[in-house]
Amino acid sequence: MGAFDPIATYEKGTYIETDTGNKVSRKATITGATNIILGGKSIIQTGSILRGDLRRSTAGQHVVITMGRYCLIGEGAIVRPPGKMYKGSFTFYPLRISDFVQIGPNSIIEAASIGSGVEIGKNCIIGKFVIIKDLAVILPDTVLPEGTVVPSMSVWSGNPGKLVDTLPETYQEAMEAKCKSYYQRFRAT
Amino acid sequence: MSVLYSCSHLDSPHSPLPPTYPSSSSSYHQLDKLYFCEECDAVRCDQCVAVEIASYFCPNCLFDVPSANVRADKNRCARSCFSCPTCESSLSIQASDVPTESGQPGPPYSLICSGCRWSSKEVGWSFEKPTGIALQLQKMNHQTEIVQSEFDSLKEHLESYISLSTPAPSAPSSIRSTRDPSRQISHLTQMAQKALHRDVGGMVAYSARSKGRSTGKEGEKEKYGWDELGVYEAKGSWRAGGESVLDGVDILRDLEDSGAGGMAEVGKRWGKSWDNSKMTKDVLPQRIPLQTKLTKRCPHPNCRHLLIQPDTKSIRMKIKMVAANYLPLVEIGRRRRRIPSNDMNEASEQPTTEELERRRRERRRTRGGIPIKEEDESMGLPLKRGETYLFQLALTNPLYDPIQIRLTQPHAAKDVNTWCNVSIPTQHFTINALKDAWAYDEEEEEGNDDFLIGGSEAGFSEEGTTTTGGGSGMGTLGKKSRLSILGGQGTKKGRDRETGVEKRSNTSKVILLVEVLPDNNTGDRVRFDLEVRYTYKSDEMATPTEPGEGSGNGEKRGKKEEYKNFTFWIRIDLGVVE
Ligand SMILES: [Zn+2]
Ligand SMILES: [Zn+2]
Ligand SMILES: [Zn+2]
Ligand SMILES: [Zn+2]
Repeated sequence: MGAFDPIATYEKGTYIETDTGNKVSRKATITGATNIILGGKSIIQTGSILRGDLRRSTAGQHVVITMGRYCLIGEGAIVRPPGKMYKGSFTFYPLRISDFVQIGPNSIIEAASIGSGVEIGKNCIIGKFVIIKDLAVILPDTVLPEGTVVPSMSVWSGNPGKLVDTLPETYQEAMEAKCKSYYQRFRAT
Repeated sequence: MSVLYSCSHLDSPHSPLPPTYPSSSSSYHQLDKLYFCEECDAVRCDQCVAVEIASYFCPNCLFDVPSANVRADKNRCARSCFSCPTCESSLSIQASDVPTESGQPGPPYSLICSGCRWSSKEVGWSFEKPTGIALQLQKMNHQTEIVQSEFDSLKEHLESYISLSTPAPSAPSSIRSTRDPSRQISHLTQMAQKALHRDVGGMVAYSARSKGRSTGKEGEKEKYGWDELGVYEAKGSWRAGGESVLDGVDILRDLEDSGAGGMAEVGKRWGKSWDNSKMTKDVLPQRIPLQTKLTKRCPHPNCRHLLIQPDTKSIRMKIKMVAANYLPLVEIGRRRRRIPSNDMNEASEQPTTEELERRRRERRRTRGGIPIKEEDESMGLPLKRGETYLFQLALTNPLYDPIQIRLTQPHAAKDVNTWCNVSIPTQHFTINALKDAWAYDEEEEEGNDDFLIGGSEAGFSEEGTTTTGGGSGMGTLGKKSRLSILGGQGTKKGRDRETGVEKRSNTSKVILLVEVLPDNNTGDRVRFDLEVRYTYKSDEMATPTEPGEGSGNGEKRGKKEEYKNFTFWIRIDLGVVE
């Protein structure tokens, strides 16, 4: 997979590596870290923002963002849970991201769930409560309005985003290999 | 820059036409979009596979629609999924702003677009329940439904006639109708004319009319003895109240108010062209079209094996015969421009043709002894006329056994005009077997390639088949991929050291020399074809080997193991000429 893919390097010490192999930039803004669960071998790049502090207003422990394995949050991407008025008060709802999900640089994510093997290009806006099923591609600069449902094996593009294509049957293996390969190539200098 | 694979479709595999023939491009596809039929031992593509619909589903509510309902539902979601008339986003259902007694949001419900804030209140649609919107709408019987019911009753009217008039035809009449193919068409045209009480255009109708005129009354007697079609009574008349004139005035008035923006784009009216209004405000939400999951079969009439069988309940595939599991992946990269030593100080920006020719000959001569400088370049840059470039061609083995490669050029004949001359210094080489990721990690730690021998060999293969499918290709991995379970130890020590080949795990890289010819035009795409033959170990021990194949290739192995060749063709596009 990608015999000519270049090594993606970062300056030593600019990323923290966790026990489970997550690589988190020191220059990423992660608020409410106790409400965020990372599955391992995921990369959170410089300038990205994860809003774990936007939790449900009721008392008790609430997980705000869960993320699977081999995920990538690109530079400057913003990941925050969706919220809405419910029974007279404003409430946030958890955001679930599965394995093998890549979110491109400067994209804004307020989805309810993102399935496994999903690639979101750069500069996308994924609206509140969007549901992206397993295996889908959101092309760069796409805007998905609130509540959009993206079915498996579909490709979306445009503003507002529309279903423009379907994925080849080989997509799952290709996407998993791509995510693993990126993780392996993302090393300190 | 791309590497595409050829599909010979239903023909027996053969070298496709050279890239200079525009028609040849239709047989090239990306590897990840190709299928492989084990029975035919051939590549198949989306253009040639036989496709059947396995299931229908709504892309918005994800409901699986039983195929029995699809026709009646007119291929659209019959639940509550509508697309916005202005931006085509899916509409969501919103409760009324007016709070009910219980304090909960309640009826009336409307459809709103979260993309552009369009609301169905604009067209006067509101609903009592938040579910089954399509059904509620049908009961409300809107304009489109009136047109639809008119169409349905007209169809019904004609169908009753068609079923009456098509009893088993007697022999002479069937002969007559085959002799006169226009009869059937004029028959239909006439039926339509009668039903609509007006002329229907078309060649047949015209020729029938003019014929009638020339032959006069005699022709009328010649009329075929058709049944009379009863007069169709329209539910509503287009003539009623002469409203078409008034409509025009209204449209002009509307246009004056709204400006040109009030006119709906053709694209938005396309799906409902029977509707008269051309105004944006009259474009109504449409039910969302259904999507399908497809079953794909080998197109060969004697084969018809399943290549793709989706699971209607999940994203898994029950059968997935994709070429990426059989054919090596070919990639091109690491572009370098060759700079002969005596050229290095030359700064001529626009060399003449003679000058280029001289340099070319120079380069040919110096290729042997004198060291030549090479400069790394970005793959995206345009190519320069008359220059020689070095590329690396990377081939990745998808099989759990090593394979041997032979690279050749299919259109070597000199009369084929081309954009470049290609030479392949290393035409024969091997590629290591595919292994699990952890096996490669060990290999890297050890810092050598002789990893094939060792205790891990037997263990990895069985596990390998279950993990690399990524979950979905499981159980469908081909015979070739499972070979290593049967196969013995891999390559012998030291055999991995091949000159001119750069090896890393299951990828081998070789050099490709490409000389861009001086007579190319600016903007030409430099393309060439390669023939790739690979030799693999086959486990079909019981079957006799095909003649001329599988005779081994110099390696001393057990007699049980057979070797087979598979040949495919790729087209490489290196980009444009400056
Ligand atoms: Zn084909
Ligand atoms: Zn077949
Ligand atoms: Zn639906
Ligand atoms: Zn809209």
